[in-house]
Amino acid sequence: MIRTPQILQKQEWLAFLFHRHNSHLASFHTFSNYRRIWIISIIILAVTSLSPLVMATFINQRLIRQAVDSELVLQTERVTSNAKRSMRFFLEERLNALRFIVNELPYYALIDNTHLAEILSNLKLGFGGFTDLSIIDADGSQVAYTGPFNLEGKNYKTQPWFIRSIESDNFISEVFTGYRDVPHIIIAVRSINALGRIFILRATLDTQRLMDTLLSYKTNVHTDIFLMNHTGVLQTPSSTYGKIFTHTHLDIPEFSTRTNVIQPENLSDNAFVTGYSYIITEAVTTPFILMVNKKKSVVMGTWLNLGQTFNWIIGISCLVMMIIITLVSTFMVNKLYLADNTKAETMMKMEQSQQLAGIGQLAAGIAHEINNPLALINETAGYLKDLYHYTDEHQNDEEVMENLDTILEAVSRCGTITSQLLGFVRQFDVQTSNVDVEKLITGILRFHKKETEYKGIHVTTEIAPETPAIETDRGKLQQVLLNLINNAFQAIEANGCLDITVSHLPPGHIFIEIKDTGCGIPEENLKRIHEPFFSTKKEKMGTGLGLSITYGLVKKLQGNIRVESSEGVGTIFTVTLPVKMKKEDKT
Amino acid sequence: MKIILVDDEKKFINMLAKRLSLRGLNADVAYSGEEAVEKAAHTPYDLAVLDLKMPGISGFALKQKLLEMQPEIKLIFVTGHGAIDKNGDHSDDIFLAKPLNIDTLIETIHQTIHPDKQ
Repeated sequence: MIRTPQILQKQEWLAFLFHRHNSHLASFHTFSNYRRIWIISIIILAVTSLSPLVMATFINQRLIRQAVDSELVLQTERVTSNAKRSMRFFLEERLNALRFIVNELPYYALIDNTHLAEILSNLKLGFGGFTDLSIIDADGSQVAYTGPFNLEGKNYKTQPWFIRSIESDNFISEVFTGYRDVPHIIIAVRSINALGRIFILRATLDTQRLMDTLLSYKTNVHTDIFLMNHTGVLQTPSSTYGKIFTHTHLDIPEFSTRTNVIQPENLSDNAFVTGYSYIITEAVTTPFILMVNKKKSVVMGTWLNLGQTFNWIIGISCLVMMIIITLVSTFMVNKLYLADNTKAETMMKMEQSQQLAGIGQLAAGIAHEINNPLALINETAGYLKDLYHYTDEHQNDEEVMENLDTILEAVSRCGTITSQLLGFVRQFDVQTSNVDVEKLITGILRFHKKETEYKGIHVTTEIAPETPAIETDRGKLQQVLLNLINNAFQAIEANGCLDITVSHLPPGHIFIEIKDTGCGIPEENLKRIHEPFFSTKKEKMGTGLGLSITYGLVKKLQGNIRVESSEGVGTIFTVTLPVKMKKEDKT
Repeated sequence: MKIILVDDEKKFINMLAKRLSLRGLNADVAYSGEEAVEKAAHTPYDLAVLDLKMPGISGFALKQKLLEMQPEIKLIFVTGHGAIDKNGDHSDDIFLAKPLNIDTLIETIHQTIHPDKQ
C-alpha cells in the first residue's frame, strides 16, 4: 500500500526538540540527532566566545594584582627610605653637634657646669631633643652634668653603654631607662683633654622627639612604623607589637645598608608588606632597625573592590552571551532541522511518487493488455444478448438475460478499473496546449446527456464571458473534469441540480466550480477522499482511485482543488488552475 | 450510411459489426490498416471506427490516409489505453475506450455524422 505523504511538522519554534522519530522520514534526514547538534553548537560557541573573555579577565586580574603589589612595595620602600633618612639625619646631626663641641671647647670649659648648661641650652635651642649633657672621665666618673635629673657624681664604669662608648669615637645607644627610669637614648663622643686623658661628652636624647619624627611618616592607621634593636626588641611603640621594649619575635632581617622590602608569601588579609632599613650614620652603626609595616589587604581594598565589580560585569556579560548563544543556536538548529525535514519530506514524496509511477506503469501495462480480451468478452456477451434480444426464440428467457447482464456489468466494472489504472499513470507526464474550457465541459456533458434526461437532472453551465483559453494539459484537465462530473452524476438523485461555473480571476487563474445537490460527503470522509483506494462506493463499482487521481492531476496542472460538502445537501468542488502553466514544473 | 470498422482483433471486430448490423448499422470490417485503405479505395464511407494500436499502419496514420482519400469521412478512435487523453493534433478527434458500451458507440456515431441533430 502506498502511503500518502504527511505533513509531519509545523514551522514551529523548538520543533527539533519535539522531534518524533519517523522511520519513513529518518532515512532521508541528513542528521539524526538534532539535540546533540544543538548542545555541541552551544558548547562550541560558548567556548570560543567566552574563553577569550574569561582568559582576558584572569590575566587582567593578575596584572592588577601585580600592579597593586608593586605599587605597594614601591610605596613601602619610599616611606621606609624617607623615614630612615630622617632618622639618620636626626642622629647624625646631634652626634656632629657633640663632636663640634668637644673639638671647639677646651676641657676645662666643658667641665664647668655653668658653661655646660649654657651649651645644653644652646643645643636645645639649635637642635632640640636634648635632655641633658655630661662629661665622664675614663674611669666612668661623671665630672660635670647639666640637666633635669640629679645625676652628678654617678659612676658609669659598669654600664654597658659606657664600656662601649669608651671603646669608640662615637656612640649611639639603644633606648633604655637607666638610673633615671625614663626611656632615653645616649649619644656620646670620645675625646682627649690637654693632659692626654680620655673623656666622654655624653648627651641624652628625648625619645619623644625621635618618635614624633618617626610618626610624621605614618600616613594612615594601616601603616605601622617603628624602630627595633638588632635583637627584635621595640625601641618605639608599635601599633602591631605593642609598647616600647616589647619583644616582637620577628625574624631579624638580613643586614643591609640599603632599604629593603619583604613581601609576604600568603595573601591573607592580615599579611604585611614590610620595609626595613638598618640605620647607619657616617660615623657609627646605630642599634636601630627601622621597620615599616603596611597591611596589604587594606591598601589593596580599593583594587579588590574594583576587581569584584569587574567580575560582576564579566559574570553578567557571560550570562547574557550564554543566553544569546543559546537562542542563536536554537534558532539555527531549528532552521536546519526544518530545512532538513522539508528536504526529507520532499525526497520521501519523490521516492513515493517514483514508486507510484512505477506501480502506475505496471498497472497501465496490465490494464492495456486486459482491455483487449475484455473488449472481446464484452462484444461476445453483448452479441449473445443481442441474439436473444433480437430473435424471438429466447426473448423471454429471463435467466439467460440476467446472466448475460451480469457478465456485461462485470466487464463494464473491469473496464472502469482498467481505465482508471491507465489514468493513474498519466499523472506523470504533462503536455501543454491551449484548451477551451467551455468546449471541454460541453464535450463531457454530452456523455451524460442520456443520464441527464433519464434522471431529470437540471444541468446549468455558466462560463464568465472574459474567460481565456488556458494553457494546460488537455487530457489531464479532461480527466479531472470527467471524474468530478461523473462523481456529481453518481451523487445526484432524480430531479437534482448540477451547476458548473467557470470564472476568471485576473491575471493568472481560473476557477471551475462543480456544484451538485447530491448526497454530500460525511465530515469524517472529507479528509480521506483523496487517499488512493478510499471508496464509499464499493457497492457501486467504486475503485477508490477516481478522486485520488483527480487530486494528483490537479497538482500536476499546478492547480488546487478544494471541496466543501454537507451531508444530504450537496458538494462543491472548486478547481483553481493557472491560465498558463509554469515551464519549470513540467515533468 | 456506410461504416468501416478497423481493428486487428478479428473476433472483436466481427462481433461489433454483427451487433451494429442488428441495430441497423451496416459496417464493413478490415483487420488491418492496409486492408482498410484497400477497401476505402473502392467504397466511399461516411464513418470509420479505428483502433489506435495496430500492427502496420497505426490508427493515426490510417486517419491521414483515409482523409486523403475521402476528405469527408468522419472518424472515431477506439483504444485500449483507457481514459481519453487527447493532445495537440488530435484535440478534435473522438476517442472511445475499450471495452465499448454499444449504446455509447451508436450515440457517438449518430452525433458524429449528424452533429447538428441533438
